[in-house]
Amino acid sequence: MESKRLKKIPQKVIIPLKQHLGTICEPLVKKGDQVLIGQKIGRSVSYYSSDVHSSVCGEVLAIENAPHPNGNKVLSVIIQTTESMETVDFVPTENTSQEKLISLMQEAGIVEHYGAPTHTVLMPEDKKIDIVLINSTASEWIGGKYKTPKEYASQMMDALKLLMKAAGASKGAIIVRKDDKESIEAFEDVEVNGKALKVAPLVGKRRLGYYFRDQDSNIIVASQKRIYGKKILNFFTYNVTGRKVGIGCDPTDVGVAVCSIKSAKALYDAVYEGRPYYETVITVEGTVDCPEYMLIRIGTPFKDIIESCNSEGEVAKIVANGVITGVAQYTDEVPVTKGTTRITLLTKEEVLRDESLACIHCARCVDICPVSLVPSRLTVLADQGRFDECRQMHIENCIECGRCAVVCPSKIHVLQLIRYAKNAIEGAYADAAPKESSNLKLGCCGGE
Amino acid sequence: MLHPRNRQISNLVVAEVSDMAYTISAPPHKKERITFSSMNWSKIVALVPVSLIAIYFFGIPALEIILAAVIAAVLTEYGIQMIFKQNVTVKDGHAAMIGLMFALLTPPEAPIWLPVVGGFFAIAIGKHAFGGIGSYIFNPVLVSWVFVRSAWSGFMTPASIPHIGPVSDILLESGAGLLVGVSPIALIGGVYLIYKRYVEWRVPLTFFLTVFFFNQAIAFVTEIVQLVQEGVLNPLLYLATMFTFLELTEELSYAMIGVVIFGILFLSTDSPTTPITKAGRLIYGVGCGVLVSIYGYFGNYVDGTLYGIFLANGIASFLESRTIPGSFGQESLLERSYKRVVARLPPGLRSEVVSDD
Repeated sequence: MESKRLKKIPQKVIIPLKQHLGTICEPLVKKGDQVLIGQKIGRSVSYYSSDVHSSVCGEVLAIENAPHPNGNKVLSVIIQTTESMETVDFVPTENTSQEKLISLMQEAGIVEHYGAPTHTVLMPEDKKIDIVLINSTASEWIGGKYKTPKEYASQMMDALKLLMKAAGASKGAIIVRKDDKESIEAFEDVEVNGKALKVAPLVGKRRLGYYFRDQDSNIIVASQKRIYGKKILNFFTYNVTGRKVGIGCDPTDVGVAVCSIKSAKALYDAVYEGRPYYETVITVEGTVDCPEYMLIRIGTPFKDIIESCNSEGEVAKIVANGVITGVAQYTDEVPVTKGTTRITLLTKEEVLRDESLACIHCARCVDICPVSLVPSRLTVLADQGRFDECRQMHIENCIECGRCAVVCPSKIHVLQLIRYAKNAIEGAYADAAPKESSNLKLGCCGGE
Repeated sequence: MLHPRNRQISNLVVAEVSDMAYTISAPPHKKERITFSSMNWSKIVALVPVSLIAIYFFGIPALEIILAAVIAAVLTEYGIQMIFKQNVTVKDGHAAMIGLMFALLTPPEAPIWLPVVGGFFAIAIGKHAFGGIGSYIFNPVLVSWVFVRSAWSGFMTPASIPHIGPVSDILLESGAGLLVGVSPIALIGGVYLIYKRYVEWRVPLTFFLTVFFFNQAIAFVTEIVQLVQEGVLNPLLYLATMFTFLELTEELSYAMIGVVIFGILFLSTDSPTTPITKAGRLIYGVGCGVLVSIYGYFGNYVDGTLYGIFLANGIASFLESRTIPGSFGQESLLERSYKRVVARLPPGLRSEVVSDD
């Protein structure tokens, strides 16, 4: 199964100059310039940034603030497209030293789906990475770009080797989802350094460390159950490697770099084909009539995707990045960015109209929470501004998967209230002097 | 401060941009259909079979009692919410459910004003005086029942205390003293609610198991004590006492009656009066079972169930605050002590202990 492109090229694309966390890019083009596919149109000005490329041929109409799927407006390059399919010359890289790979990643504009530029994940300042993980638990990307599952597996192995080289890490692993038969089959018996690998299930206390010894290999493939959410990295790292990440830290603090399957593929393309990151695979769901996976040029407005997919007509709500935690869009003029994974169209009947009631302590949120929090109590504490007590109940562990809000029979805004408390705690303790706060320890690695 | 129920959070903003209008709202954009209202109505539906059998069995007085209690409860809720200018939430079925549950705990000979007082007291004092939905600490049905039982005990004493003799008693209990006692099997709807996740399973399961094995445990302890008193030294005889757990005791037929099943499936699972933590609910279920069994063993299981659960409600919030779960990946007390023991074993005895890094 191969993913489909849209039937026609959009008339106009909107390419935000900031599709990552960090500093915004500096535009390299001006109004009236002609651009080609793959041409760099935004240059990063600091290490925490990633370049932006044109995904179409055409003329720059304007450089102005335009809607971004995260809800804000961001300086974007708006390009009027032409029919031409002319690209800049893609030059595969021969020299793959560590420094070269890192700068290549920044120049090819490779970022993680949650926003961090991939090179900052692999080579963070003052930290040493020793394990690189490719997380493919959340996306069935096998349907994305490949003709056969074996091709997918071998490409992912090559990509993992590149990522390990870039990070200077000695070990690497690909994590697939337990119930994703297609991927597991693809990786079964894949050859690494002349040895066939088995897909290792992560159960109980058997984590990666065990399987590295068991399979006597520095590269392995493991499977685990699906984890999803906005802030899963720390939980994911703990589940896979057994390393506990301190509060306020990220996996790089314990020497783990987590990459997504999209950035791994993008790195592979950048190295072996010389192609920068200007296309991405997304899922379109809801009242639509189109293949499951679509290969979309970055910058394509949602409007064009809806027009080519939605045969029913009526759309009452557009949600980017999934119905559980995604952002509802107020306009269909927002572009697909590097961080877009999914577009959901809801009809008028599916739009929820409910009112929050008092908590009835039914404990459904407690039963469903994957990180054993007590969401209902946290909600009450957050509502009353008792953030210290929230902190004592490990609110930072929340991975923001939103399942507590989904199951709540009183329709309380659990997710929002927990986020509110988390932000308040971050703001309150960010610059507090360590000595003054006796009841809490600050800093990453000294954490509680 | 505004009462939570009066604080309507407007979920929906419709943004008018150009010619198209899209709804925007905070995530999640899809939720489970289950609501507070559907939970209450499903419990009422689950209680319909037993009510019908009670009416068939006791005749028109049973119907009058059920109607009187339900109407009194609903009118009380409506009146209180009008007087205090709250949103009227009669439609969510909570008041009707409380009224119905109270009616089922009344003997059929009771005068008609008794369920009216009961329904009123349950809603006015049991529910609203404690702060309404989600805030009360004692189950309103039990608050009202305990009050009425103490105030007019002559009317509230059931004519007979049932026990399961022949198997047909499970279907239709001829010795029923309260409306709910007529048919233990008709309460099976409560199990379906647990299966459909309308009601959680930890409390009813541990409650049931505790009530079921309590009498065997008493018999077991009695036998051990007897052996010790006789001065028996043979360890095999002590081991043999384990078999008492396999024999169903005589008392069990007094324990598996309609009121106890009703308490397990409907009263103990009232969510505001149970702890919310997982461990807390397991302990709470055992606590309910022990209290009910002690009452039932030395008194009778009809009063025992209701007083037992009422007392257990009192320890619910204590259990909740003592069992707040730790951070994920943190070792529990059990795991820590297990590790300490394993570390002292000679290496040959250890089963393979897998560690990471």
